Amino acid sequence: MLRRGSVVRRTIATPIILSALILALAIFTVWSGSRPFNQTVIDVLLRVMLVVGLYIFIGNSGVLSFGHIGFTCLGAYAAAWLTMPPMMKGMMLPGLPGWLIATKLPYWVAAPIAATFAAVFAWLFGLVLMRLSGIAASIATFAMLAMINKIYSNWSSVTGATSSVVGIPIVRDLWPYVIAAILCIVIAWAHAISRAGLKLRAARDEPVAAQASGIDIPRERLVAFVVSGWVTGLAGALFAHSLGVVTPDTFYLAMTFMALSMLVVGGMSSLSGAVLGVLVLSLLIQLLRGLERGVDMGGVALKIPNGLQEIALGVIMIAILMFRPSGMMGNRELVWPRARRRRAADAAPRSSTNTQPTGVHR
Amino acid sequence: MRQIRTFGLAVAAAALATAPALADDIVVGFATAASGFMEAYDKPAQDAAMIRIQEINEAGGLLGRQIRVVTADTKSDRAEGARAGLTVVDAGADLVVVSCDYDFGSPAALVAESAGKVSIFLCAESIKAGIQGVGPHSFSASVLAAVQGATMAEWAYHKRGARTFYRLLDTWTEYNKGICDGFDWMLPRLEGATLIGSDTFVNDDVSIAAQITRIKALPQAPDAIMLCTMMPGAVSAIKQLRDAGITAPILNGSGVDGSYWLSAVPDLSNFFVPVQGSIYGDDPNPEVTAFNAKYREMTGSDPSTQYVYPGYVMIDVWARAVERAGTTEAAAVVAELEKMRDEPTLFGPRTFTSELHHQNRARYLIVETDQGQPRVIDEWTISEPIPVSALLR
Repeated sequence: MLRRGSVVRRTIATPIILSALILALAIFTVWSGSRPFNQTVIDVLLRVMLVVGLYIFIGNSGVLSFGHIGFTCLGAYAAAWLTMPPMMKGMMLPGLPGWLIATKLPYWVAAPIAATFAAVFAWLFGLVLMRLSGIAASIATFAMLAMINKIYSNWSSVTGATSSVVGIPIVRDLWPYVIAAILCIVIAWAHAISRAGLKLRAARDEPVAAQASGIDIPRERLVAFVVSGWVTGLAGALFAHSLGVVTPDTFYLAMTFMALSMLVVGGMSSLSGAVLGVLVLSLLIQLLRGLERGVDMGGVALKIPNGLQEIALGVIMIAILMFRPSGMMGNRELVWPRARRRRAADAAPRSSTNTQPTGVHR
Repeated sequence: MRQIRTFGLAVAAAALATAPALADDIVVGFATAASGFMEAYDKPAQDAAMIRIQEINEAGGLLGRQIRVVTADTKSDRAEGARAGLTVVDAGADLVVVSCDYDFGSPAALVAESAGKVSIFLCAESIKAGIQGVGPHSFSASVLAAVQGATMAEWAYHKRGARTFYRLLDTWTEYNKGICDGFDWMLPRLEGATLIGSDTFVNDDVSIAAQITRIKALPQAPDAIMLCTMMPGAVSAIKQLRDAGITAPILNGSGVDGSYWLSAVPDLSNFFVPVQGSIYGDDPNPEVTAFNAKYREMTGSDPSTQYVYPGYVMIDVWARAVERAGTTEAAAVVAELEKMRDEPTLFGPRTFTSELHHQNRARYLIVETDQGQPRVIDEWTISEPIPVSALLR
């Protein structure tokens, strides 16, 4: 039996390295001084939050969820309700309760509340959904996404239906997003090494043995579902503040598949994979978009036709998955180089949860 | 000696060519879609804007300075839209032009607003595209959708003697609802006009047979059908109505303007569309026809719909405001724009007030399609502007 302290010590390197990566990106952005690039990096950080949120549930439970963008939608609208000027709310969203119309909170107070709102719904949905497993669970989460989207696209007095909701204070400062992204990474790490996280990973790899050892699988899944609902809800709230506009169709299939493909390319059962998947794919997207605009290479203009970006991205993703079917990181995490060597030496006598193959993508 | 003079000329020319381009130019930034589905809407209006910019530059520029254009592609994506807005603002844009549609243009317009720049939507027709949804420096170059519905109702009442109306609304977009809102506002103001029925459908409905059955079951055929819809579903709805033997006049919003789809409904008749200017070569103002020729010369084809025109109007009114203010500074330009009352433009008069940066009343040409041939038959301006309170419902 491992002592808690030793689990922390063995795994703490991962969140530290990932946070350092995020910080390095942030410092480079501030140093570059370009506002469009700043906005691009905000977008990248929001995706980091989203994909880390997905990882908390999908990575640890092995159940593919298509529904988490629904929590992003809940978080974004809740943030809008809490931060818009009361006058605009009264005009555009007259169906909101009076106390909510009168409320106007600063974004950093509203965002955690909005995330908690999303988590409450994750708990309610999870009570039912977590009893399912395999493809049934995935389809059920998809149904939940469709349901949330339909409600938000039609409840005009509360969500403004398909019209854009505007008047949300815009936050263009990079640091709140950096702090939130690092917070999400730390939450994901803390959950993964917690009692609930370890039980869930055991259940992911050997469900029968786990159940026989007394693990209540629906319960552990529910914990992960609520935690990941909170993180994706927080991403939604900050998304609303990054643009100043929300509409229900933003939080639907396109965002779902974008986040899922980043997670799959990075490595579904690895926190490092989730973060690196976002960083690598975002970098590729930016490079290809730059090429679409045209780059001057020593007098020769290098330019690819508009729209090729999406195709090239698809081809690259297929290539990555061809050579690394379980994503760039597989199920490994980033650790200090020395620790990795020592772990490799230890691997033979002692099997560790981190190096166990998973049943997800076999 | 000659060599020296040539060299001197070259230096002077180079200085002229480069220096003003950096410091003295007035910059118009287009944060619009150059790819994705919005391009079909943004590109034509942007081309028209370019024509006006070219005209101004050829006539000596604005305040004696040339207008320079910078662009950034929104890729028909909202998050990219905000980035495109930041890109053109950082490139020094004095005016930020944003996408045709409110939903897709607002992220860039909000960027311009927070940077204290004037922003104009190329052709958005929602009241939010302006003060109400962006802020005090934002405008739209087009006319509110509600004015189109109100215009058609009042025109049909007075000129076609229509007394009984039927309302068929496609609930797909805000634009469609806007047309019918204007119609609903106008109807009670027309003495003796009654709504004998109304129904809804959604743009991508394969069949509207149920709605048609209800229209045919009415005790009397309506004098006119107000059809609040847009492309692409409009064609199918119109075809089904006509195929079912419903011959009543159909009143529409400007969204169905254009002849590109008429072959799908052969010999369409009794079909009316309000437009800001005619693309059919028969505009009462010969300058519009001259503009169409210029547009063809620049882009290689005629304007496909009337939504080309707001782009031209936009640069036109903004340049006049800049000229009058003597500066491109946002507050001064907005103040000049807000002084405009029935300011004549190529495509009808324009009014901006401190309450509304959009047109709640406008002159519309009425285009009738008869035997599949569209032509301008009349023009109409609603008798009173639609109040802002009715638009904000």
